[in-house]
Amino acid sequence: MDNNIEFKDLWRKQSISQPNIDDLQTKLKHFKKTSLRKLILTNVLLIATCFFIVFIWYYYEPQFISTKIGIVLNVAIMAIYLVVYNRLFDAYKKMDDTDSNTEYLKKLIQIKTKQKFLQSKMLSVYFIVLGIGLCLYMYEYTAMMTLFWGFFAYALIILWGGFVWLYLRPREIKKENLKIDNLIDKFQRINDQLEADL
Amino acid sequence: MEFETIYKTYWDRIFRLCMGFVNDYDVAQDLAQETFIIVWQKLDTFRNESGIGTWIFRIASNNCLRQIEKEKRFPKSELPPHITEEKQYSLEPEIKFLYKCIAELPETERIIISLELEDVKQADIAKIVGLSEANIRVKIHRIKDKLTQKFTENG
Repeated sequence: MDNNIEFKDLWRKQSISQPNIDDLQTKLKHFKKTSLRKLILTNVLLIATCFFIVFIWYYYEPQFISTKIGIVLNVAIMAIYLVVYNRLFDAYKKMDDTDSNTEYLKKLIQIKTKQKFLQSKMLSVYFIVLGIGLCLYMYEYTAMMTLFWGFFAYALIILWGGFVWLYLRPREIKKENLKIDNLIDKFQRINDQLEADL
Repeated sequence: MEFETIYKTYWDRIFRLCMGFVNDYDVAQDLAQETFIIVWQKLDTFRNESGIGTWIFRIASNNCLRQIEKEKRFPKSELPPHITEEKQYSLEPEIKFLYKCIAELPETERIIISLELEDVKQADIAKIVGLSEANIRVKIHRIKDKLTQKFTENG
């Protein structure tokens, strides 16, 4: 039985309202503005962190090299984190929308897999460097305290670090990975639909 | 080709493709608009290797596939009730049923059958989806069988 003509007929009867092209133009302008704003914001943030580092350096005049290394480490890792995330976002945005569905799906899966790897690795590196940076930074100031308070301060930091490393970090990674795994699964399933019967 | 001409020529076809994919008027409207935003951004990179239609349908179908990612971000149940409220469109039940059936198919089949119903040549469908023409022919045949069966069951 061939219902081809009937289907095509029904298909075309769908009610459609074509939005005025002016509406679309407004959206386009808005879109342009927001992408530009995002770009500016990222750069302003990066420059602001650089200024912040210089400011602390000059204003507090740390004596110990450990304090300076601590500051640099902390700010550097924050900046790196920001850059890595932005680049990942860019890779995503730069995907070629004009590929065939098969190619497009494969690239989506690739990017998502890369994102998963980066996210879990990056998050661990971020916490390690931040922890080391903080300990180095604190040294100059704890050295001025009595031995008891110095130990107390470090004990607190290590306790907090342990909590972040053992509880917050795995939880965050698990949450993020679950989201990405779900998506990869879905994209993979769609890809399998295409590869079936080949 | 001028963007405005493309928009006027292809809006209906792109909208129907999106509607077949999601079977939700508002979401389809958004998807179609997004498609044209991408078309507008990429228009200067378009080289006449494939027809403009094939090119636009590729963008639209890829954008529909990306929709899966957004689905998770805005689960419908979390939206305020007035947004999910179904609008009253005076459509024949058969039209609604066809779109419902198509939206229930696996994602790639939705795209393939929508393109077929849009009278896109099978060779072009093959180029859009990235499969061989023979494969597309078989798939279209099977999808139509499925739809026919659903229509027969529905009376």
